[in-house]
Amino acid sequence: MRNLLALIQRFYILLLFIALQTIALILLFRNNNFHRSEFVEHSSDAVGFIYSKRDKLSRYLRLEQINYQLAVENAILRSHLPANFDVLDTASGIYTDSLKYQRFKFRSAKVINVTINREQNFITIDRGQDEGIEREMGVISDGALVGIISSVSDHFSVVMPVLNSKFQGSVRMKKSGDFGIVVWTGGDPAIAEVIEVPKQTIVSPGDTVITSGYSRHFPANLMVGTVVEVEEPDNAYHLIKIRLSADFRKLNYVQVISDIYRAEQDSIEQIATQENGANNP
Amino acid sequence: MAQTILNNIIRIVFLVLLQCLVVNRMHLLDGLILPWIYIFGILMLPFETPRWLRLLVGFTVGFVMDYFTGPMGLHTSACLTLTYLQPFIQRLLAPREGYEITHRPTVQRMGLSWYLSYAGILTLFHHAWLFFFEVLRLSDFFYQLIHILFSAVATLLMMTIGQYLIYTSKTSES
Repeated sequence: MRNLLALIQRFYILLLFIALQTIALILLFRNNNFHRSEFVEHSSDAVGFIYSKRDKLSRYLRLEQINYQLAVENAILRSHLPANFDVLDTASGIYTDSLKYQRFKFRSAKVINVTINREQNFITIDRGQDEGIEREMGVISDGALVGIISSVSDHFSVVMPVLNSKFQGSVRMKKSGDFGIVVWTGGDPAIAEVIEVPKQTIVSPGDTVITSGYSRHFPANLMVGTVVEVEEPDNAYHLIKIRLSADFRKLNYVQVISDIYRAEQDSIEQIATQENGANNP
Repeated sequence: MAQTILNNIIRIVFLVLLQCLVVNRMHLLDGLILPWIYIFGILMLPFETPRWLRLLVGFTVGFVMDYFTGPMGLHTSACLTLTYLQPFIQRLLAPREGYEITHRPTVQRMGLSWYLSYAGILTLFHHAWLFFFEVLRLSDFFYQLIHILFSAVATLLMMTIGQYLIYTSKTSES
């Protein structure tokens, strides 16, 4: 026992170091899940408050007002784009005129913090739960894909942008209509990759990549980027490098997209899954 | 004594704020260079700081940085390593007569070459630790390697310039 105590006394610095380092590494590796609490701390109100103060300092007073008005106006106009309306099923009823119902709603938000030089980057915006922001809503800027809301506090939210190695977005090649997945593997913040586009598709530099509309976060046909280079690895798929349309270094205002019928879509899909599960023993 | 403690606390708080509110916003060369200058506050701890206190300071500073900038634990871990290694590096670079009570880890007191090797070695350790854990998968290895080296050089440069700006030979008491 005395030996043990002597040992502890001798190595207590090393032991303290190991203990604290263990805490740090547990914090670091505890949670790599996209939704879970890894970033909750990051979006907490205290940090958001300091960031928004800094942001206030760094903007010209008048410029901010004008920008804000423009952003609000953009959001309103974008809500009226025909692409955001689903046409009512004319064959099923008597609604034979051009009535449409709205599917997506846009809210503008101010960007108060951006990182672009890490493997996992984040954007903080000044809207949160109180303004109707929820997790998994899509985020765009000037009609170009930016990311998905990953965590929300009362007045702030954190966006997981395309520039995050955990981001995956469903996209479509505009010319051929083939689907792919946009990912980012670090490095240049202007370049992302599209994977899982089969090799029989002809892809050439300059082609446009748009959102597919299959993910629940975004409407179809939003700009994602343009092809700059096509590589041919030894498998059935292209490896397409694209230049992202959104300029992450100059993000000022973004729009958060909410799908008005998401809850409904979720619930019917869940019912369908359950019924299938019941039918298949 | 109390003055020294207060000075160190103020320095560290100032540097953490400077890091979070200003330096992190500078996307030098498209983000290739990202200096972490807040470690200057840790490097400037007096020689006689007990090792357990160094570890606690490292843990706290790292934790606050994490709270500001991203995945929890990353800076905490890097700062802990930094503060753990600090006394070893100091012993390695100690002058023949050992450190005197008036010595401070500054250019003015210890000379430029001593300061550059001291800050250089520790900065490199800290940055390498940070970037290794941030990438983990080590995708784009060479980009990361260049990233580490450039950022470490930038950090060192900024800290050295900062020394000349802040300290004159008279005010380097704490």
